[in-house]
Amino acid sequence: MTYKTTSSLTLSILLLGSGSALAQTELMLWHMEQPPHRVERVQELLDAFNAAHPDIVVTQEPQNWGEIYAKAPAALAAGNGPDLLFAIPDFAPILKEIGAVQDVGAFVGALDAKHDLLDSAVASYSYDNGVWAVPLYNMAMSLWYHKGAFEAAGLAVPKTWSEWQAATEKLTADGKYGIGLPASKGLYTDQVVYNFMVNNGASELYNADGTFAFDNPKTAESYAMAAALQKFSPPDSAGWFWGDAEACFASGTCASILQFTTITTYETQGGGDAAKLGVAPIPHADGESQHNTIAYANAVMLLSDDPAKRAAFETFISWLLEPANYGRFLNMEPGLFLPVTADGAKADSFWNDPLVQKYKPQIETMIANSANGMLFGFTNGRTFPSIAPISGQNVLSEVLQAVVIDGVDPAAAVAAGQVRMQDIAQ
Amino acid sequence: MKQSLPLRLLLAVTILFFLLLIGLPFWWVISGSFKLPQEIIAREPTLVPQSFTLQHYAKLLDASAYPTYLVNSLIVGLASSVLTVLLAVPAAYAFFRMELPFREGMYRAILLAYAFPGVIVLIPIYGLFAQLGLVDNLLALIIVNTTFALPFSIWMMRSFLATIPRDLEEAARMDGAPTPVILRRILVPLILPGVAAVGVFAFISSWTEYLFASVLILSDDKRTVPVGFAGIIGQYQIDWGLLLAGASLAILPVVIIFSLVGRAFVSGLTDGAVK
Repeated sequence: MTYKTTSSLTLSILLLGSGSALAQTELMLWHMEQPPHRVERVQELLDAFNAAHPDIVVTQEPQNWGEIYAKAPAALAAGNGPDLLFAIPDFAPILKEIGAVQDVGAFVGALDAKHDLLDSAVASYSYDNGVWAVPLYNMAMSLWYHKGAFEAAGLAVPKTWSEWQAATEKLTADGKYGIGLPASKGLYTDQVVYNFMVNNGASELYNADGTFAFDNPKTAESYAMAAALQKFSPPDSAGWFWGDAEACFASGTCASILQFTTITTYETQGGGDAAKLGVAPIPHADGESQHNTIAYANAVMLLSDDPAKRAAFETFISWLLEPANYGRFLNMEPGLFLPVTADGAKADSFWNDPLVQKYKPQIETMIANSANGMLFGFTNGRTFPSIAPISGQNVLSEVLQAVVIDGVDPAAAVAAGQVRMQDIAQ
Repeated sequence: MKQSLPLRLLLAVTILFFLLLIGLPFWWVISGSFKLPQEIIAREPTLVPQSFTLQHYAKLLDASAYPTYLVNSLIVGLASSVLTVLLAVPAAYAFFRMELPFREGMYRAILLAYAFPGVIVLIPIYGLFAQLGLVDNLLALIIVNTTFALPFSIWMMRSFLATIPRDLEEAARMDGAPTPVILRRILVPLILPGVAAVGVFAFISSWTEYLFASVLILSDDKRTVPVGFAGIIGQYQIDWGLLLAGASLAILPVVIIFSLVGRAFVSGLTDGAVK
């Protein structure tokens, strides 16, 4: 082979190579699942997807929930934001307001037809004539309890508030607490308080016309109940966040808590006896008949208007939601992330995880509880942009703090809370 | 002067009290990092560990990017420290010796800049760095940390320069030494404790800086310890052992640097404070 021929061949190979590189679509994914084992699982999935799709390269950059509300808008404005970004319902409106989010309604419709997406998960991202994110995994709170503590006290798992209050009082003795309820200013307390509201017919923060519906007797009753149970929590619980409640439960100090899951912590730090770990629907007010809970789906938003990136995004998310892959994605944190698709809830890839198998009855109960999930500000298809700053400023937990710490009458605290919401909305 | 026994006892008790007050949280964190998970969250906390494990350190160093965060923090901290010293010394000299228009006004304006909370300038700085292509670059953190450390450093160096007799400079000047030489050969050797104090101050400020590191850095492999570590801990589920191990390792470089230059740091602060 002559030098000229060799050179031509080499050049052709290089051109072909560069041609295929040019045809590759790159997607930058930002997500907030930062713990190392979650990052590792996401990377495994990305490696598998990228290997199976040579024309697409998806890379991840884990971010922190604490900064993403400021960081993402700034990065997008400066032109160095991601193409795909995970979201929760009250985060999506912030990016939508600055025009960064693409409508994925048609794609979500196609996914729904194929996988049967959870209606409530889609609903919390559907407003203003569009669907602004693809739901990926659900989270719902339940009442987690130590079976041994309830059995020793001769108690059945409470179903109503009166049973709940009696049980909590009886379980609080000898340095142990019937329940661990937070009263800090933060999202965890917001979520816990809302569990009381949805189980007392006070789930709506807004009226249909956008005015506030927070100040009503049912909401005040819900706060009164939360404050009554909070008395049976450890003294430091007024400063708790999720991890503190879990530690209290795993150590056996708290007989019960309201939490998305306790499985991983119970397994690694609390002994790991699955037979003794109880989970139940959250008790409802005596006049109510249905157990409800706070639940919300984490989702992924498309932030690029490039058609090639949209096509790559749809290929990637379609692949991720295939039952063979979806369970592995959910089990980046086994027992915390619940499926949002009907076929995903039956997928072997989900149920074959060793930890999921061990705690199968608990996870089945979690999934059942999530069916009656609601999220403040995203109920009945009514979503108003002011919910983002109201959630961001933790008004729900501020009201509980007024009742629990300052001793304000619940009705007065709720009325003041509504005024605060109105101020924020303006 | 010989002290009476009751006074010495009182001093000893006071020292012991403050030693415990300051030392106990450190003991709690460091000893906890070697406990088994069950003991860490036990209902009755143990002051003396009843178990021993290295599993939290193994997990931290093997399964997370913590070593990368440590290296990044060291790069940013050391570079910020050196740059701060290099800028603070001549700036302080200029404010102290040179006849500049509005010298006092500028000096006070610099201190005023120190009083500004970083969050106020966060967005403008982000926009500026984005235009310069410095977002997601450790150089951005070095520039920001140096900028925020400089006002206090200049103030400290200026106070320190004030302790040096003017005659020394004048003697050197009469021998024909230009200002840079006077500064390098005469003054800097005399204010080394002050230089060390400024260096340590800049390093610690940089080591603990969170706000700008969290917003200006996008990639995981460029994060510094405070930001990267906050992510490792998790939100809904906290691995307490991992948290304690990471906190113990995070204080190690600061302890090492203090042990090397701590005496100079203390004397730098006190000497600079008293003319």
